[in-house]
Amino acid sequence: MMRKHKSDRVIGALTVILLGLGLIVIYAIGPMRVNVMNAAYGSDLGENYFFFHQIMNVCLAILVIIAAFKIPYAVVRKFGFALIMAGLVLCGLLALLALVNSSLAKCELGACRWYNLGGLSLQPAEILKLGLVLYLASLMATKKKEGKLGDLKEFWLPFGLVSGLSLLFVVVVQKDLGTGVSIMAIVLAMLFMSGVPMRYFVATLAVVGTVGALSIVVSPHRMERLATFGSEESSDSYHIENAMIAIGAGGFFGVGIGNSVQATGYLPESINDSVFAVMGETFGFMGLMGVVLCFAVLLMRLLRTANYLHDEEQSLVVVGIFAWAAAHVVVNIAAMTGLIPLTGITLPLLSYGGTSMLFTAAALGLALQLSCFTSREPRKEVVAKRTEKVARRRQEMTRRQQI
Amino acid sequence: MSRNKVLRIGLLVVIGVIIARLFCIQILQHDEWSAKAAAQQTLSTVIPAKRGEIYMLDRGEPAAVVMNATVYTVVVDPMMANEEEVAGKLTEILGEKRTAEWSEVFKNKALRYYVVGKNVERGAAEKIAESGLAGVWLQSGTRRVYPEGQLGSTLLGFVNTEGKGQYGVEGAMNEQLAGKDGRLKTVKDVNNVALSIGDDNVKEPAIDGENIVLSIDKNIQYNTEKIIAAKAHELGFANASAIVMDPNSGEILAMADTPGYDPANYGQVESAAAYVNHVVDDPFEPASVCKTFTFAAAADYGLMTPQTTFINNGETFVDGWPIKNAEQGSFLLGSQTMQTAFNYSLNTGSTQALRWLGGDENNINATGRERLYNYYHDRFGLGQETGIELFENTGIVHGPHAEIYGIDSTYANMTFGQNMQVTMLQTAAAFSSVVNGGNFYTPTVVAGKMVNGKFVKNEEKAAARQTVSGGTSGVMREMLYGTRTMWRKNGTDKPGFYIGGKTGTAQVIRDGAYSMDETVATYIGFGGTEGELPQYVIMVRVWEDGKVAGGQAHALPVFNELNKYVMDYLQVRPKAGE
Repeated sequence: MMRKHKSDRVIGALTVILLGLGLIVIYAIGPMRVNVMNAAYGSDLGENYFFFHQIMNVCLAILVIIAAFKIPYAVVRKFGFALIMAGLVLCGLLALLALVNSSLAKCELGACRWYNLGGLSLQPAEILKLGLVLYLASLMATKKKEGKLGDLKEFWLPFGLVSGLSLLFVVVVQKDLGTGVSIMAIVLAMLFMSGVPMRYFVATLAVVGTVGALSIVVSPHRMERLATFGSEESSDSYHIENAMIAIGAGGFFGVGIGNSVQATGYLPESINDSVFAVMGETFGFMGLMGVVLCFAVLLMRLLRTANYLHDEEQSLVVVGIFAWAAAHVVVNIAAMTGLIPLTGITLPLLSYGGTSMLFTAAALGLALQLSCFTSREPRKEVVAKRTEKVARRRQEMTRRQQI
Repeated sequence: MSRNKVLRIGLLVVIGVIIARLFCIQILQHDEWSAKAAAQQTLSTVIPAKRGEIYMLDRGEPAAVVMNATVYTVVVDPMMANEEEVAGKLTEILGEKRTAEWSEVFKNKALRYYVVGKNVERGAAEKIAESGLAGVWLQSGTRRVYPEGQLGSTLLGFVNTEGKGQYGVEGAMNEQLAGKDGRLKTVKDVNNVALSIGDDNVKEPAIDGENIVLSIDKNIQYNTEKIIAAKAHELGFANASAIVMDPNSGEILAMADTPGYDPANYGQVESAAAYVNHVVDDPFEPASVCKTFTFAAAADYGLMTPQTTFINNGETFVDGWPIKNAEQGSFLLGSQTMQTAFNYSLNTGSTQALRWLGGDENNINATGRERLYNYYHDRFGLGQETGIELFENTGIVHGPHAEIYGIDSTYANMTFGQNMQVTMLQTAAAFSSVVNGGNFYTPTVVAGKMVNGKFVKNEEKAAARQTVSGGTSGVMREMLYGTRTMWRKNGTDKPGFYIGGKTGTAQVIRDGAYSMDETVATYIGFGGTEGELPQYVIMVRVWEDGKVAGGQAHALPVFNELNKYVMDYLQVRPKAGE
């Protein structure tokens, strides 16, 4: 193991900057959101309800980052399998609770994705993501070391089972395509970086593509969404149209803090999934460039960290975290700018509160911890060969070299 | 290439695409999206101006005759409303005011807006509001109410469903009454609540319409309508119109038509003809009342006095056409005074006056026509709009050189009010100037306006022009007095009062020719204290399609009745000592 050195300051700084930026936006549009909520539900929320809650969320997120940074990875990694089991069990239990109409299951538009814990909502899919990252990294690194990355029973079976079950719960049971996409991104990116032979990876992609296409074809709901994407008939067209109105109306410099009109009820989910569009209206092209560049640098630094971690498992963990964050950023922004259909996915660190922010924070905290163990030289990627013989030979060769 | 590098390059490509997309939306298409934003974020509402109310005078004090009441339009949002519940409750509450069938209302739920009741009174609207039905809301508006019912209907006009004044004062003075709607333009949130965001918000307050006070005296108007209706009915005629005016100011005191209509239910008339104000908007041939104007012109030129004589042969020829007198008694043949010609309404007499105007004893010439036209058209204003605040019909008075067949004969006919079309108002205004000393006052129905509950009178207007000299005016008063007195030897008019008047029986053109069995009866007269200027002028017109009405037989009795009332109401005093 590498000697511990200082963490990647860039990752830490960008995380804090983005959290702060999110806080400013929520401060500006929170009162508008409160108005919309009060008008729609007759509630009596205070003007700064969302701002105060977001302050708490951000404080909590920072605590989580510190915790994830401090708890040694050696301890954390042991919980990989437990987390993924917990995630799967919680997803299953949620489905059961929803089936009996329990108030513990929080549903929106027929999709039950949250636990209702007395004012606090928990999305078990987030646990699943963290679990997947830890479990798959460990599985892949172990099997690679054992030269069994090509082994059907030893590697592909548990890999397929865990990934498939996760996707089944998230996409089919919870009808959460957004989270499905991010899980897919985590799984595929980790698999890609695990060093499986290219043809295996391509074959996996083909399987995923086929299953994905089938799942769309057999579901009239998804079929309709895809067919009507970009047209007026789409049920999401209002949402996308208003997101683009917000972004477009922002122009170069934006309308300024507190002057967003789209946030006064035109744009759905203004403080959550649509926060990027509100930022576009408020801060303009300049502001969005800043946000996009912050994310771009953050993601590049994660990839760099992964590249300089010589420990296979740790490197894969960071790759998983990268894919997780990247999927959220790209899918959210692409949907807000009308490039892809809406999937309902948050913008990491900027969207208002929720489980998503805490788990993203945990993941980034962990990545920050792992960034303390990078080498000076980039790691050498080793692609596993198809046969154990070859793998073993190569292993021996490396050992000899090291000697 | 390492796989990590593949991911990095992939990430940069995606970021590049996103930046390009943002550049496209925020920079290139900025105007387009801003326009879309403005289109949905702008609240542009009209602040309706309050329509002015209309007052008549009640012995000099304004009294409202047209007022506003708040009424409600009931709207249903079929998407939000529960069909059974809403249909059940609203059917009961709205009753006759319901304007839509429920099956139609709920046919297309996407409409979100369906008017189910109009002109709903406050009481019913309150019941609807209290019922708390989802998807039902009320829009308030105003409706005209008429505390005096049908009073002055053809004078006042009405307001149509679009809020625009039609006919009468409402139509002609729509702009003043309507005022100017205000405008509110502001950025709004999704629930249509105005926001303080943005700096091009507009707020123009509404300018309410003026409250107009008419010169019409409510009591005279009421009784005029009552008298002409009763008398016309008694005499067997469907239509009668009357105007009562102050000859010394041009102010109209009453302007009435019978039958009128109910302005609150203006839709329930057989045809739009019911809305016509016959005093200002229905030109007709005034017939012999016009002799007043011919004689005044000749007298004003000094060409005749009431004692001037002419030879009456019972008929006279112009352009080879005979002009006959209605009165053919042999006692009228031979040398007769112009007073006799006036008394018996001899057409030969008025034709002779026209010849004299041209300085010729035997022929009508261009000079005569020019002079008559000068008086008729230019001075008396016949065939011209008087300038009253109402919609007027100009009528027709042919010029002295009009290229029509038989211009001399046309002018001969014009001396006794045929071959021309004028309104009652033109006639009454001209007549007023003849008897008031020669001053033509532009007739008016407006006395002033109500400003903050106070009556602000219009400034008194000077005479628009001199029509005849004071001397001529005196002569004409005497001739009119003489005529009336001769015919009323039995003494209907009490001594000490000075009442004069002239009848008219006009043939009506039907299918391009004068009808033999349809005439319109008119009577115009003045009244006042003997030895003083007249205090009022009254003109009456009685007719019915296909019926023969005579000035003496049918218009005079209506005048007499009305005259009695007006004289009484205005408290005209007899000459001191009588």
